[in-house]
Amino acid sequence: MIKLDPTIMNRVTKPARYTGNELNSVKKDHNRVKVTVALALPDVYEVGMSNLGLKILYEILNDRSDTAAERVYAPWVDMEAEMRKRQIPLYSLETFTPVKDFDLVGFSLQYEMIYSNVLNMLDLAEIPLLAAERTEVHPFVVGGGPCAYNPEPVADFFDFFVIGEGEEVIEDVVAVLAEWKEKGRPEGRNGFLKRLAAVQGVYVPSFYDVSYHNDGTVATVTPNCIEAKPVITKRVVKDLNTVKFATKPVVPYLDIVHDRIMLELFRGCTRGCRFCQAGVLYRPVRERTPEKLLNIAQQLVENTGYNEISLTSLSSADYSHLREIVTGLIERFSDKGVSVSLPSLRIDSFSIELAQQVQQVRKSGLTFAPEAGTQRMRDVINKGVTEQDLEQAVGAAFRQGWSSVKLYFMIGLPTETDEDVLGIADLAYKVLHLYKEIKGRRGAKVTVSVSSFVPKAHTAFQWFGQNHTAEIERKQQLLKSRLKDRGISFNYHDSRTSFLEGVFSRGDRKLGQVLLAAWRAGARFDGWSEYFKYDVWLEAFEKCAIDPYFYANRERSEEEILPWQHIASGVDKEFLVQEYQQAIQECFTPDCRRDTCSACGVCPGLSVEVLDWGNQAYE
Amino acid sequence: MNKLRTEITKGEEIRFISHLDYARAIERAIRRANLPVAYSEGFNPHMKIAFASALAVGVTSEAEYMDVELKEAVSVEQFIEQLGRQLPAGIRLKQAKYVDQRTTALMAVVNLAKYTLVVPVHADTDPQSLQESINQFNQALEVRYVRESPKGKKEIDVKDYMAEDIRVEIQDGFAVLAMTIKITPTGSVKPGEVLHALVGQFALNVAEDGVLIHRTGLFTTDGTKAVPPIDLQ
Repeated sequence: MIKLDPTIMNRVTKPARYTGNELNSVKKDHNRVKVTVALALPDVYEVGMSNLGLKILYEILNDRSDTAAERVYAPWVDMEAEMRKRQIPLYSLETFTPVKDFDLVGFSLQYEMIYSNVLNMLDLAEIPLLAAERTEVHPFVVGGGPCAYNPEPVADFFDFFVIGEGEEVIEDVVAVLAEWKEKGRPEGRNGFLKRLAAVQGVYVPSFYDVSYHNDGTVATVTPNCIEAKPVITKRVVKDLNTVKFATKPVVPYLDIVHDRIMLELFRGCTRGCRFCQAGVLYRPVRERTPEKLLNIAQQLVENTGYNEISLTSLSSADYSHLREIVTGLIERFSDKGVSVSLPSLRIDSFSIELAQQVQQVRKSGLTFAPEAGTQRMRDVINKGVTEQDLEQAVGAAFRQGWSSVKLYFMIGLPTETDEDVLGIADLAYKVLHLYKEIKGRRGAKVTVSVSSFVPKAHTAFQWFGQNHTAEIERKQQLLKSRLKDRGISFNYHDSRTSFLEGVFSRGDRKLGQVLLAAWRAGARFDGWSEYFKYDVWLEAFEKCAIDPYFYANRERSEEEILPWQHIASGVDKEFLVQEYQQAIQECFTPDCRRDTCSACGVCPGLSVEVLDWGNQAYE
Repeated sequence: MNKLRTEITKGEEIRFISHLDYARAIERAIRRANLPVAYSEGFNPHMKIAFASALAVGVTSEAEYMDVELKEAVSVEQFIEQLGRQLPAGIRLKQAKYVDQRTTALMAVVNLAKYTLVVPVHADTDPQSLQESINQFNQALEVRYVRESPKGKKEIDVKDYMAEDIRVEIQDGFAVLAMTIKITPTGSVKPGEVLHALVGQFALNVAEDGVLIHRTGLFTTDGTKAVPPIDLQ
C-alpha cells in the first residue's frame, strides 16, 4: 500500500485527485478475490472520472464477489514530478495498491491524443511498456473504447484489446482469467491470451503478423497461431434493458467535467453523418424503455445525491419517448432540487420547447451543430438539416428569451470549397440578423466553433486525404477575416493537433516506435494545448524515418488493405464505399431507425436489431 | 421555518478537499438522506445550508458548524440518524439542535478559531531554538506578511489576528503548535500563513511543507469566554 507524504499533497494542485475515499468507491481485500482489475483512463482525474463506460465496468466488476476493480488516472505533471522524485509507483485510488500488482490493467482509449499518457502511466506503474517485454510478474494490459477499433498504432503496448461494448465481454475476460489462474497459469502469459482469443471481440495483436508493400501500405495481416481469428468482430449488447448500468457511481469531491447523473437513454445513432465514427461503431440504435430509465434515475438520485440528471446519448433528442421521460423525471425529482439537462440538441423547434421545459430560465446559451456552412456541404456529410431548420430552431430560441447561441462546424471536409467555408460566416451573420429581426435590436451573441475534420477508421470518409495543416490554417484565416462582428466570437482548433490525431487515427503498427520516441522526448498530455509539443513529435517521426503525411493526408484507394481491416464494426465495407460515393454525389441516405433500412450490414451480421420504442411496443 | 444548527467534522480521509467540495458533499448527503430541506426560491434553487467558516485544502477539523433550514420539522434524533447514515467517510455529525429562525448567521457570530499544527522538525534542531522562535513571534508588536492571490498582493499584520500566544511542544520529531486566531469582519489570517511567517521571519526550523493542520474549534467570544456557536442561547 502506497502511503502519501503530506509534503507532496501540500505541494501539488488539487491534491484530492490523488487521495480517493470518495462516496461509493469500493475497497476490497485483494486476498479474498480471484481477479483484480485496475480501470485506467489516461487523462487527469476530472476527465477520467467523467467517463460513463468506466463507471459501468466498475460497477459490473465490483458486483462480482470474485473481482476487485479500482480506478487510476494520469497524475498531473506536478504530481508526476513528485512521484518520480520519490519513486512512488502509480497506484489505485481505492486501496492505494501499486498498479503493477493488479492482474489486469484496462485503459479506456477515448481519443488518439492520450496515447502518450498511456505510455507514461505504464512507465510510472513500473510495467514494461512493450507487451513483448512483460513477464509472469506483470499485469495484462488491455485497451478498449473507440480507439480500439484501430488499435494498430498502439498494438505494441497492449497484451490485448476488447472491441466494442464492454458490459458482457468484461465478464467473459474475468472468467477466463480466473480459470487460468486457478489452473496454475498453464502455458504462461500466452496460455491466457490463447484462451482469451476464443472470446468474441478480443484481439491479441501479437497473434497477427503484418507485412507491408514497398510503398508502405499494408500487404497482409496474418494470424500466426490457430487461436487467432482472421477477423475480430465487435461486441454488441442486444438489449440494454437487460445489462447493468452504473447506478451507484463513485461520487467525486472535486468538481469534475461531467459532475452530474448521466442517464444513457439509448446507444447508437443511425442518422448516418458520414464523418462520424461513433455513428458506425455503436450501431444499431438500442433504446432503454422509459420504465427502465425512470427506475435507473431513481436509484442514481438515491445513491449519489446529485442535483442534475443529464440525458446522454449520441443524439438524445431522438429518443422515442423523450417528452414522457423528461416530464417524468421533472415530476419525480423537482421537489428534491434535481434538474434535468439535455446536452445535445437536434435542430428543430421541438427541441427548443423541450429545452425551455428542462432549463426553465437558465438561459445560458444553446448549442447547435449544423456542422457545415452550405447546404451542398451538409448534403455531402449527410447532415440532414437545412438552413430553414436552423432558422426555425434559433428563431424559436430567441423568441423564448435566449440570446446566446453556439454553433459547431467543421472545416476540411471532402469536396470542400472556399464557398463552403465562407458559408459558415454567412450562417453566423444570418443568426445575428435573425435576432435583430425578432427582437428589434442587436444583442445576440453567436459563438462559432470550428474544428478541423479528422477522417476516422470505419467511416465512409476513411479513405479521404485529410487537409494539410497549411490548408486548414488558410481556411481558418479566411473565416477569421470574414467574422469581424463584435457579436460573433470565433474559436478554432490547433491544426497541428488535428494533424497528429489524423496520423494516429488511421495509422498502422509502424507508429508504435514514433509514439515511444515522442514519449521518451517528453510528450504527454498532448490533448492539453499547454503541454502539446509539436516539435517533439516531428522530431520523433524524423528519427524513426516515418512519414506522418503518408498516414494523415494521403487519399487511399478502395482496394488498399487498411491497417484495421481485420477489426469489424459490423458495418460492411461495401456500405461505406457506397456512402463515400453518395457523399461525392451529394445524395442523402435516410435514418434507418424510422425510415428505410440502408443495408449497412450490422443487424443481420451481428444478429441484433434496432430497438426503438416509437416503432414497436415494449411490453 | 425550522433551523437546525449542526456540529460536524472534516476527517483525515478528506483532508485535501476544498471548502466548496466539502459543502457539495454535505449537500448531496442531505439529498440522499431524504430530509425535508428548504430550497431558495427562483429558477436556480439552492439548498438552504450555511457554514460558519471556510476550511482550507489540507486542513481537517474537529468541529465545523452548519445551519440547515427544513421545510418541516423532524426530530433531532431522526435528523442525526438519517443524515448520519449518508455522510461520506470523513464527515461525522456530532450534534444538532434547533435554533431560533432569527438567530444571527453562523458566519456573523463566529469570531475565533483554534488550530493545532503538526510539523516535522529538521533533524539537527535544538528544541530550545524552536521555543525561542515562538517567543520572539509572541513578543513581536507586529508581523508584516504579504499575502499573494490572483487579485494581487496585500500586506497584513499577522499579529492583528492572534488572539493568544502561540504554544509549542516537541513530540517525536514534530513541533506541535497551538494557535488561536481571530476571525474579524474585515478578515483573518490562515494558520498556514502564520507558519510561513514563523519560518521566514523567525527562523522556525521546521519542514513547513510537511505540516498537518487541524482545526480544533470555532467559537464566539466577547473577549472573556469562548463559546462554541452550537451552545449559544
